[in-house]
Amino acid sequence: MKPLWKRLYDWVDERVELVGLVEFLGKKYVPVHRHSLWYYFGGVSLFLFIIQVITGILLLLYYKSGEELAFESIQFIMSKVQFGWLIRSIHSWAANLFILAALIHMFSVYFTKAYRKPREMTWVTGMLMFFLALGFGFSGYLLPWNELAFFATKVGTDIAGALPFIGKPVMVFLRGGEDVTGATLSRMFGFHIALFPGIFTVLLGIHLVLVQRQGMSEPLGFEGEPTTERKTMPFFPNFLLRDLLLWLLVLNILAILAVIFPWELGRKADPFSSAPAGIKPEWYFLFMFQTLKYIPAQVLFIDGEVLGIVLFGLAGLLWTFVPFWDRRSSRGERNRFTNYIGIFAVIYIILFTIVGWLS
Amino acid sequence: MAFVKQRPIHIILWIISISVAAHGTLALAQDQCRACHEAIGDTPSTLFKRDIHLGKGISCADCHGGDARKEEMEEAMSKSAGFTGVPKGDEISTLCARCHADAAIMVKKYRSTLSLEQAELLSTSVHGKLSITGKERIAQCTTCHGSHGIVGKDNPASPVYPPNVVKTCAKCHANAAFVRTYNPSLPVDQLDKYRTSVHGMRNAKGDAKVAECASCHGSHDIRSAKDVKSAVYDINVPATCSTCHSSANYMKGYKIPVDQFEKYSKGVHGIALLQKHDLAAPACNDCHGNHGATPPGVQSISKICGSCHALNADLFSKSPHKRAFDQKNLPECETCHGYHDIVVATDKLLGVSSEAVCSWCHGGAPTSKAHLVAKNMRHLIDSLRSSESAATLLVDEAERKGMEIGEARFKLRDARQARLESRTMVHSFDEQQFQQIVDKGLKVASEVSEEANNAIEEYYFRRQGLGIATLIITVLAVSLYVFIRRLERRQRTKQ
Repeated sequence: MKPLWKRLYDWVDERVELVGLVEFLGKKYVPVHRHSLWYYFGGVSLFLFIIQVITGILLLLYYKSGEELAFESIQFIMSKVQFGWLIRSIHSWAANLFILAALIHMFSVYFTKAYRKPREMTWVTGMLMFFLALGFGFSGYLLPWNELAFFATKVGTDIAGALPFIGKPVMVFLRGGEDVTGATLSRMFGFHIALFPGIFTVLLGIHLVLVQRQGMSEPLGFEGEPTTERKTMPFFPNFLLRDLLLWLLVLNILAILAVIFPWELGRKADPFSSAPAGIKPEWYFLFMFQTLKYIPAQVLFIDGEVLGIVLFGLAGLLWTFVPFWDRRSSRGERNRFTNYIGIFAVIYIILFTIVGWLS
Repeated sequence: MAFVKQRPIHIILWIISISVAAHGTLALAQDQCRACHEAIGDTPSTLFKRDIHLGKGISCADCHGGDARKEEMEEAMSKSAGFTGVPKGDEISTLCARCHADAAIMVKKYRSTLSLEQAELLSTSVHGKLSITGKERIAQCTTCHGSHGIVGKDNPASPVYPPNVVKTCAKCHANAAFVRTYNPSLPVDQLDKYRTSVHGMRNAKGDAKVAECASCHGSHDIRSAKDVKSAVYDINVPATCSTCHSSANYMKGYKIPVDQFEKYSKGVHGIALLQKHDLAAPACNDCHGNHGATPPGVQSISKICGSCHALNADLFSKSPHKRAFDQKNLPECETCHGYHDIVVATDKLLGVSSEAVCSWCHGGAPTSKAHLVAKNMRHLIDSLRSSESAATLLVDEAERKGMEIGEARFKLRDARQARLESRTMVHSFDEQQFQQIVDKGLKVASEVSEEANNAIEEYYFRRQGLGIATLIITVLAVSLYVFIRRLERRQRTKQ
């Protein structure tokens, strides 16, 4: 008598021929070297995204969009719904950890030059997902319709409105009018639960297929070593089990954060009240926000804020298309210049985030 | 012989006096303006005879221009001689200011102590705004002081002599047709009300010390009562009244206390108005009236307090205390709360302790009904206060622990509201009605406490849950780690 799981496997195999997939996974190996640790952050990002999807769906069961209902529904979730407080707290914490994990994943890929040929598309889809993750953060921040979220959205959309030529229409589109109102809330809700997840799922699918198809990138110089000296580990089950182990650790951290530091709701937004002192965006926007504060109002003949936004836009564009202009890495040659740019970016982001946090 | 007996100094003074008189006669004789106009007998020249300016040697030509030495009218009143005729509109005040704002003329020449800023102040005052014609300011110097018969303000003939001021102001301010062209909502019965006030009655008898319009509103610098710089702006009223009423010297002879402002400033109303700038708090005029200012009588005190504290006054009127107070001729609110130095009404006023006002009348027999009612009411309000405090502490604690307890916090307002209502209900002196309100508050406080307690219990439940979950996850992680180690060891052995 075969065990139950074996019978179940056979039943599925008989219908969809799992043999090919199992063989593929069985032959898939992950390079083992001193930078192997960074491979796991892609998996951690994926795990946190899955948590976001699950907790997001659970929150949707009770959340009500609208100026008069949003805040009260979150209050209801946190005080009346069984474990509602936990789901909301996990959703909020996991959102932040997701951005952090994605950020680490992005920089690890950048510094190991894993974006080089033939993985340009994997990098670009990853970058697009990162921008979408920031969009998730921005749109989700307003949903509780509390004071901080209201004014942070006002400031954020104001900055978008400063863009040359397209700024005003973009701002009106984001707000659903001239001001942040219930229309903005409905819009952000739509982006957060329908538009962004839809696009994200497609990009994630492409990203994962590409990773599986092309395998893990090996560091520069690794390819030159003799095959006998190259260390690898089977993707299944070794790497997957290690991934699982890290996921458990992340889950533990998440649970501790969600319970010990429950995400506060604050006060309901009042569009007629004055903005609270020291209003700041979420930490992952802080370095840009702080930079804009330091740029003079007028630089030569250009508006300081516009200049800042344009520069960040250009930097983001260059960063996204790094596989296409870093030809040396694609040729398997060392490129110190991109390393220096990356180090500068890391130091800049950390420094300005700290300054923004303290100011 | 008497002349012979004069001392030399007296003779010198006599000679000087004769010379001065002769000089004056000469000067007057040379003023051809007056010579002609007095001969005609017109009003300006007749009035000018008693004008203060004439006494200072100021002639018609000093204001109207022309050459007062010429006998011929055409020559004296010619443009070439600088004749300007009758000044009109703002020219009047400008003309007055030519001397009255000039220190060289006023101080050095005439040794005057008058302010040099009168014209400037007038132009920035409410009367300095443009008139409906748009060509001139509403009031000129002559509007109040007159033109050719101007005398000092201490002269009973002056329109600005204190007992005359009210009539001077009323010329315009009691004219409904005139006032409505500027401000239809401005009352025109100030003079009528004033005449019913203590100030007005004394003023009518010629008392120049009592307050008239200018005493409170100012003279040249009058501003709208809504202007924060106005002496009669709500917050400034107590200080304005106190300029006279706090001066023991000034008030000597009126036989009224002079400590009202001092007491008021320390009272609940004074603190609210003067320190917190709460414009809803009453100033002197809110209780005493402004133009009809008079001390409220015993019978009307509750009506005056009741104009703001309506519920308290209404409940008191229906209570058994009303009749008792009337019989003993006691002022209603004032008996328990005082008047100028009204302190914050705390729960201590209630009950039979030494601080409680009830004990003043009902402190004697501990078995009397009134004594027992007062005692029980105090007990009830004390228990409501302590229940509310306990509930607040629990809600605070739950919030400190990061629990979402906004609804309970909101409900806590109902407990506070019930306590405030019970304080109002005290004025009914009806134990049953009072208890109903207190019970309502106690019920809310108890519900809030329960919700807060549940939240605090939930907090500890969450911590325990976290402990268990962390333990399970850790065990799983360790097991997985061990499993991976074994698996990889097996794989290495196979190789």
